[in-house]
Amino acid sequence: MNDDELMLKSLAMGTFDDLFSDIPEELRVNMDIGKPLSEQKLIEKIKKISGQNVNMVKFLGNGIYDRYIPHLVDEIISRNEFLTSYTPYQPEISQGILNALFEYQSVISDLTEMDVTNSSMYDGFTSLGEAVRMAYRVNGKSEILIPENIYRAKYEIIKNYVYGLNVKFVEYGFNKNGLLDLDDLSSKINDSTSSIIVENPNAFGLIDENAIRVREIKKNALIITYYDPISLGILKPPGEYDSDIAIAEGQQLGIHMNMGGPLLGLFSFKKDYVHKSPGRLIGLSNDKNGNKAFVMTLQAREQHIRRAKAMSNICSNQALLAVAATAYLSILGGSGLRNIASITVNKSKKLKEKMKSIGINTVFDGINFSDNLFHFDKIDILKKKGIAGGIKLSDITYMNGITDASFFSVTEKTSNEDMDYLAESLRGF
Amino acid sequence: MYRQAHYDEDFLIDYNTGSDYLLEEENCDLPENMKRKSLKLPNLRSFDVSRHYTKLSEMNYSVDVGMYPLGSCTMKYNPKYNDYIASMETFTDVHPMDYGMNMQGSLEIMYNLQEYLKSISGMDCVTLQPSAGAHGEFTGILIVRKYFEMRNELNQRNEIIIPDSAHGTNPASASMAGFKVIEVPSDENGLIDLNALDAAVSENTAAFMITNPNTLGIFDDNILKIAEIIHKNGALLYYDGANFNAILGITTPGIMGFDIVHFNLHKTFATPHGGGGPGSGPVAVKSFLKDFLPVPVISKNEGGYFLDYNVKNTIGKVSSYYGSFAILLRAYSYILKNGNDLKKNTQKAVLNSNYMADQLRKYYTIPYKKLKKHEFVLSTENTGKRALDISKFILDYGIHSPTTYFPLIVKEAVMIEPTESSTKKEMDFYIDVMKKAAFMDSDAIKSYPINTSVGRIDEVKAARNLIMHW
Ligand SMILES: Cc1ncc(COP(=O)(O)O)c(C=O)c1O
Repeated sequence: MNDDELMLKSLAMGTFDDLFSDIPEELRVNMDIGKPLSEQKLIEKIKKISGQNVNMVKFLGNGIYDRYIPHLVDEIISRNEFLTSYTPYQPEISQGILNALFEYQSVISDLTEMDVTNSSMYDGFTSLGEAVRMAYRVNGKSEILIPENIYRAKYEIIKNYVYGLNVKFVEYGFNKNGLLDLDDLSSKINDSTSSIIVENPNAFGLIDENAIRVREIKKNALIITYYDPISLGILKPPGEYDSDIAIAEGQQLGIHMNMGGPLLGLFSFKKDYVHKSPGRLIGLSNDKNGNKAFVMTLQAREQHIRRAKAMSNICSNQALLAVAATAYLSILGGSGLRNIASITVNKSKKLKEKMKSIGINTVFDGINFSDNLFHFDKIDILKKKGIAGGIKLSDITYMNGITDASFFSVTEKTSNEDMDYLAESLRGF
Repeated sequence: MYRQAHYDEDFLIDYNTGSDYLLEEENCDLPENMKRKSLKLPNLRSFDVSRHYTKLSEMNYSVDVGMYPLGSCTMKYNPKYNDYIASMETFTDVHPMDYGMNMQGSLEIMYNLQEYLKSISGMDCVTLQPSAGAHGEFTGILIVRKYFEMRNELNQRNEIIIPDSAHGTNPASASMAGFKVIEVPSDENGLIDLNALDAAVSENTAAFMITNPNTLGIFDDNILKIAEIIHKNGALLYYDGANFNAILGITTPGIMGFDIVHFNLHKTFATPHGGGGPGSGPVAVKSFLKDFLPVPVISKNEGGYFLDYNVKNTIGKVSSYYGSFAILLRAYSYILKNGNDLKKNTQKAVLNSNYMADQLRKYYTIPYKKLKKHEFVLSTENTGKRALDISKFILDYGIHSPTTYFPLIVKEAVMIEPTESSTKKEMDFYIDVMKKAAFMDSDAIKSYPINTSVGRIDEVKAARNLIMHW
């Protein structure tokens, strides 16, 4: 007898069917999803499908960026010890992942100069939703100030996240230079304001000098800053301009684009709010022998204990990608990150010059980080020339007024040849 | 004997070997007030980064090392062909806002996965967008909300009923989406108490959220009656698909009468758990709820596959883009590879669970109905020892402990899910260790674990004296 037969026998059962005698006949199904395949056949089939993806010269960004990823990052997160473990519910035997997540919290807190970072959220946009909920828990106020140029997808997700709360959105505008309009924002802040969402770089792709001045007018509202983690290699960090909560999409930190998922939500905040915060937190303690030891802490905020009154429903998160982000930042170091951020700004500058030389101008003057907004809407030409880019502003925001504007984005991987090819292709149109 | 590695490993920030990541020095012009003054990041050689993580990995237990029967988590083998497939640059390098014509391969994978999930669940339409099980629940409950909003019944239908055996994410998701949570007790068999359910259901009920088999690993054969009670009342029935590994190929939530289902691809469909994630939590609905799905769904016409934003009463978006593609891809290739043999995995998972339950019954109380599905829950109360102490003792043998203190309705609960991946030999060893634990001295057991990287941790100190930064 083989093992299965031995086990069935010990259960006094004859066949596998006996194990399912509690499932009424009328509920039984005959699943037919095809015959099993050999691994070789499987790989052949998948390769054939993947071969239909086309890789063009890319000027795509607006949240997801094609950055260079050191091989070591993939190597680290491919280690089975991390890859095939789960949430460290048994900390004594899971110190490796706990240590790695503690370091993630630390490195993101250092990058943002915020007090506390949780051990990961699903993605940038849902983190923004969670941040708005958190601000509401902190002050119970009902108005959320939101930039009028925010990506539609972000806005929709935030709306879904506050669906159950008694809150409303108030939009604030941008000045003629495409920067946050402090007067407009200031006139809308009042005693009911719960939080102010501030983006830097803003949704036009501009490094926004006014974003860092919101602290001067915020009154009692919480500032939620949405930042670009690479930009913090050179830009003043959110903690330095009094952000209460700092949120970002962490994909750029060593995570492949993968058509937009899985991603990594970076979620940091002031320590006063820790008991109102969502997500898992790793704390440092010691074991009974005095060794340094890590555990998940403040779990009483979470769903498995607090249930309907939990700070969030999040359970599985993006732990492995948090490890990738930490490895990425550690491999680059401070000088590496500063260089990549500077290269990005300089490439944007170069792109703007090249486009200007063929008569395509930016919508706003100013300093762009990765995303550059041009007066341009002839996407069909791009397609014909084999260039992926030209995301229309009106497709991804509610800014329907500016109809002829499109984004072209750069990273350190964007070459001079790519830019020349773009400019040549668009000459005369 | 098991002995886990222990290193007194420095933090990354405490190395000072100097970054050797060669990049040409570059500066850019920024206004003075925007400039960062100082940046403190780790500064070490790549080799040191590599060693650091290699050491940490040796201090981490994983399913590739041994049994990991965490109940409700389905820690099965994660086939390596999936990781290879997910590393293909033709997939990893796709930008989410590229032209549809440039991502036909990825879209085909997603479309095919939607089709598979429909067949497997007996449902009609699928969204792949949610990032995990809890996110799928939240999405499903937003659909419930929108459905009643469109029917002008939302003001009245503001309650969601949940059994007391439910996972914490169920009430948390319902409450996040703005509903009041009503808990119903289980009956003496651990099943839904039909009388209690009847009493709880009212014109205020929007939905009933359950999993079947439930978190005790027991299949509720009253499910059609439950569906009738809920539907007669005009409410919806929600299926938490965390326990799908018990029914795949045998029955479906569709046929059981459920209206909304979420899957945990990282459980049933063998995608790696990654130390806590990323997972993926697609949601399937019956056709009358099709118009509420988040956008985009993946559709197909003469021109090929496309991101379809044409969903009439969509709840909008729940994730930044279209879902966790690299996870979806692994789940797809797992289903494609195994096909109808997936049913065999279910049978084996259920056999393993019943075998362990039957053997452990000699030493522990295993409440409720005898026949289990893919997992079961025992109580350590009869041994005079706490589930916590038993679970720490187990670790010392180089095996991961089960889930403890869940579900809440069993005192000193230990929830065991061996999955189809465990062999008889492994399980016999596990049973043996649990037997030893049952007979351990109640004081002596508190000194375990001994052979793990660290011993028992002062969790109170961690919470009182919060250190969350190096
Ligand atoms: C029964 C049950 N429901 C829901 C969930 C939540 O799933 P996830 O962790 O993927 O968010 C879990 C996960 O542990 C579970 O066991």
